[in-house]
Amino acid sequence: MKMSPEFSKAQKNMQPGEITSAGFLGTDSRNIVEIIEADEERASALGLDFDEFVPVLRRLMEEGRKGLGEPVTVEGRWIVTAYEARGHLASPFEDGVFRKVNAKIVRTENGKPTPDAVLVSDLSLHLMAKYHFLQGRGSAFRLEPDLIQATLA
Amino acid sequence: MNTIPALFAAPVAVGVISAVLAALISITDRIVNNYGDIDVSINGGKKSLEIKGGQPLLFGLAEQGIFIPSACGGRGSCGACKVKVHSDIGPIMPTELPFLTKEEISDNTRLSCQVKLKQNLDIEIPEELFNVRDYLGTIERIRAVTHDIKEVYVKLPDGEEVNYVSGQYGQFEAPAYDTIKTPTMRAYSMSSPPSDKTHLEFLIRLVPGGIVTTYVHTLLQEGQKIRVVGPFGDFHVRDTDAAMICVAGGSGMAPFKSIFQDRVDNGTINDRDIWYFFGARTKKDVFYLDWLTQLDRDNERFHFVPALSEPQPEDNWDGPTGLITEVLGHYLVEKIPAEQAKEGYLCGSPGMLDACMAVMQAKNMNPEKIYFDKFA
Repeated sequence: MKMSPEFSKAQKNMQPGEITSAGFLGTDSRNIVEIIEADEERASALGLDFDEFVPVLRRLMEEGRKGLGEPVTVEGRWIVTAYEARGHLASPFEDGVFRKVNAKIVRTENGKPTPDAVLVSDLSLHLMAKYHFLQGRGSAFRLEPDLIQATLA
Repeated sequence: MNTIPALFAAPVAVGVISAVLAALISITDRIVNNYGDIDVSINGGKKSLEIKGGQPLLFGLAEQGIFIPSACGGRGSCGACKVKVHSDIGPIMPTELPFLTKEEISDNTRLSCQVKLKQNLDIEIPEELFNVRDYLGTIERIRAVTHDIKEVYVKLPDGEEVNYVSGQYGQFEAPAYDTIKTPTMRAYSMSSPPSDKTHLEFLIRLVPGGIVTTYVHTLLQEGQKIRVVGPFGDFHVRDTDAAMICVAGGSGMAPFKSIFQDRVDNGTINDRDIWYFFGARTKKDVFYLDWLTQLDRDNERFHFVPALSEPQPEDNWDGPTGLITEVLGHYLVEKIPAEQAKEGYLCGSPGMLDACMAVMQAKNMNPEKIYFDKFA
């Protein structure tokens, strides 16, 4: 699928070794427009609205930061651990620089962790909010729409 | 006689022209970007190097055995690789700006990973970097101390020793693996005491999505060779009588393990009051509990204060609860004499450091006497 110059540049920037060692595309052979369109379709089928769930994920990440590097229980429903490293990461779309903060958000049942967990970062949340980009399959920060729904249920 | 059918003439011509152009570009690149060898003078001529030009200063120095710290492997995303460049190399690059203060810019500080070796240079680096060595060690032992922290004990090559001050850190390199095509280095505080000159120990906590921590927790094996560069950092105990107020969480324990064992080794553990606040969520997240509890029992001036933020019923916890900053604040008011001179020593994430500093300053500790290495 043909991409705009902006997306073509972003695709290049997402390769391993450009911005991060691992890149943003994992082992996915699709281009980023194909990834975005497929994920938008699946999210829509699940009733997920990017404008609704991304702010929730961001709020959980910020709550997790209050744990000062240790896990913290949020609203009795999630255990969130926020990790921070020094420095910043550039967006592959060249539209900003983001803190190196990431958070593991784990849904709990009766206070115990479940397998429903997502990993987000300051940058990945920006890419989700602005471009609906959930990263390529195989990327550590890839979010499957089904898992987003299960984790935030 | 063979002739190329007319159908294929155009694609073949395009292919030949492309190949010729690519070759021309490659040759031109080698000519235009061939900077030859660059002379780099360090610290006013204390050391002079001849380095292959065209590459970043960070890598060129490393090739010559001068290691500038870097937490991101030279990708321009950590700001750790600062050096002063007294030669005119042009304006600060946009990639450097986020990491430099106005004072640093006026002081000729640059990021060495962003400075390309194109001309002779006169640079200045901290003297202690001349002590940094590149070791190819062997993993002697890997031990899980919690569900997400591993203690990694590295033996240095025969005949080699390391000299460092407790509190310093080393850069630990994971080789290329899976989809990670190049080696990756990350900084970790040494948890072994300086008295152990033939080994280096690190506490490495698994960070989801983390390249080096994932390697350590899933692939690293005992007996394997591993590259470590160090020592780096100026986090160390100041030689005063002030009470040491030490705060850590998770793998932030590492420099304090080194510092406390060092003081036991050299007989200074009871020379001044030491308060060690360690924060964790539940009891299973606290480690070295027996050792630290014993240190507290055996040494009247050493006080270990573990605090759990969310103790579980099965923990049977009767110690302090709450975030470590809350417990720290309580002790600074209720348990540690206000009039006693104090120094803060912190190790943890940037968020934890900021929060602890805020508490310490709110309880009248002098911000200039609060020390830390701000990396995670």
